[in-house]
This record gives sequence, C-alpha cells and structure tokens, in this order.
Amino acid sequence: MKCKKCRGKAVINMRHHNMGLCKDDFLQWIPEQTQKHIEKQKMFTTDEKILVAVSGGKDSLALWDILQILGYQADGLYIALGIDEGISYSAESQRLTSAFANARDLKLHVVNIASDYGTDLPTLAKGTKRGRDKPCSSCGLVKRHEMNRIARDYGYDVLATGHNLDDEAATLFSNTLQWNGDYLIRQHPVLPSRDGLARKVKPLFRFYEKEMAAYALLRGIEYIYDECPFAEGSTSTQYKELLNELENKHPGAKQHFFVKFLSAKKKGLFAEPTEKIVPALHICPVCGQPTSMEGECTFCRMMGVSKS
Amino acid sequence: MKYKTTIVLRDKKYEVKAGSTLLSALKKLEILPESVICVRGGELITEDSILKDGETIKLVSVISGG
Repeated sequence: MKCKKCRGKAVINMRHHNMGLCKDDFLQWIPEQTQKHIEKQKMFTTDEKILVAVSGGKDSLALWDILQILGYQADGLYIALGIDEGISYSAESQRLTSAFANARDLKLHVVNIASDYGTDLPTLAKGTKRGRDKPCSSCGLVKRHEMNRIARDYGYDVLATGHNLDDEAATLFSNTLQWNGDYLIRQHPVLPSRDGLARKVKPLFRFYEKEMAAYALLRGIEYIYDECPFAEGSTSTQYKELLNELENKHPGAKQHFFVKFLSAKKKGLFAEPTEKIVPALHICPVCGQPTSMEGECTFCRMMGVSKS
Repeated sequence: MKYKTTIVLRDKKYEVKAGSTLLSALKKLEILPESVICVRGGELITEDSILKDGETIKLVSVISGG
C-alpha cells in the first residue's frame, strides 16, 4: 500500500479515512490533527498550564508526547494505585511513566494511594460495596478525585486525559444501551470547569485506538502492553470488540457513531443541561472538593470505610 | 505446510501459509485487523503485505482497558 501523501510505503491503512500513510507522514499527521481538534473544540491555548493524567499506557504517553511536540506547557500526573495481581502492574506502569518523563526532562507528579491514604486500591475496593466484585468503579472514583485535587492544588488550568475514539464510542454504546440520559448529556471531549471542578479535555478523541498504538510504537514510546488485570473481560472491552467487528464490515462505523452523536448534541437533539439534570455541587467538609451530595464526598467516605 | 509464516500474538504462535496476504491470514485466524498492529522485523506493515516463507510477524493488541 502507498502513502497517500508521498507515495512511499505505507505503514498504516486507515480505512475510515480512505488513507494509508508512511511513517514520517503519519507521525506528522497525528500532531497536526490533534492541534486541529484542540483548536476546533477550544480545549486550551499555549498560555495555559495542562496536567496530563498518565497511566503508563500508550494513549496517555502518546498524548503527553504530542503536547510536547505542539509546544504546550504539559506536566504529568501518575496515580500509583497499588495493583499487583502477580504482574506488578502498577510498579511497571509507574516505571515506564517515570522513564518517559526523565528521558524528556518533563515534570511528573506522583500520587501514591498507599502512602497517602494508608491503603491500596484492591484493599480499598474490597471494603466498599461499590468495589467488592471489581475495583474498577472505586478506581475511577479515586482517579477523578486525585486528578482534580492535584489540578486545583498546583494551579493547572486544564486536565487532559488520553481517551481515544474507541474509548468514547464504547462509553457511548454502553450509555445508549442503557439510555443513560445523564451520562449521554455529559459525554463530550471538553467539560468546562465549574464549582471547583477542573476543565477536562480529551485531545485524542478523534483517533482510533489502533492509530494511537501505531503512533506510540513508531515514536519508540515504551508503554505497558498488559491491560489492567482488573479490566480483562470488562464490559467496555467487550463493547470495543463488538464495535471493531462492525468497523471491519463497515469502515468508519465507530467514527460515525461518536462524531454524529456530538453533532446531534450540538443540534439540540439531546436535552440541554438544566438545573434538574446537572445539580448544584456542594463542598466536602473533609477534603474541600466539590461533591454532588451534601456532607462528606464519596471518596472521603470510602477512605473512612476502608480505615475502619 | 511447505511454505509457512509464523504469526505471534501475545504468548500464542500460529503457523499460516506463506505467499498469501496478511489480511487473509488474519481472517483465517479470526483476528480482526482493527484490533492489532502488525510488525515485521520491527517495522509496521499494512494488511495487504504478502507473507514470506520462514518469517515471523508479531501482532500487538491495541485494545487497552483500565
């Protein structure tokens, strides 16, 4: 297959764009497209301080790499959750993240849940109703809380995550299957800041997972190949596989599904957020972070549950 | 199989017929091209590449969760 730009040998075929690209053109195209969507969605400017949530996986490290190439002020945040499961998952992902940051002289914040809160994620999850079967929802809660805390404490303007189009399409698929209106309304590559919550952005939301894996590999980024041991066989992984089957038969299906959802939202086909749907936030008396309910936030209550 | 190519995905090794395209090998192995990137000698290759006798193609799973 030939590169659409230079007619050299293509290294990736993006059927949904009807385009193959060689290594050099692909490595130029990804940052260019990222910049285009950062501007189109008004995510942030070069004057703003960005905190990138990095996990040691391909997407978040690729995002950090791209933001550096584009000249943004982007620091990293790694949250050590203490997941081992026989493969030293957290230790290895932290090692890779630190190696990435050190090699490029980038600033990396590290939050260690065990040393900061006296317990690791698997132990914490077992002690709570929400995480008893699988720690994924507790993990999400801990990550959201700590990302917002670091962004606020260190004065970052925006919090960026490495969610790609496959992540977003799988989430949309899940929320659509359940007609989860609250989540459908909130799903967007840019969530503005409000009431103590940092602005959240997903600059890779238009790239397929395969493109991000190819980018990381071609850039020589060392990332953790293993997926989180708790995510194996998860519903979101199953949805991604289903969507890939659809994509195989109908190139562009994943892209259309998510991008047309965003267009539909923009045209008002979904209800606009109202006070009823987006309730006012309260301040947690323990950690000072915003929470949807009065009194202690879920994070502080969970930490209290695990300590008792 | 007289002319064969080895395809490796995680810890599994598959032997397929050389001379055909990578895409047809993936189809036979029931691996979706969307879910993997294909590496030959450290270089990424597209699915229309012709498999050579005796070579090994490494597949890298692209789906991550968590």
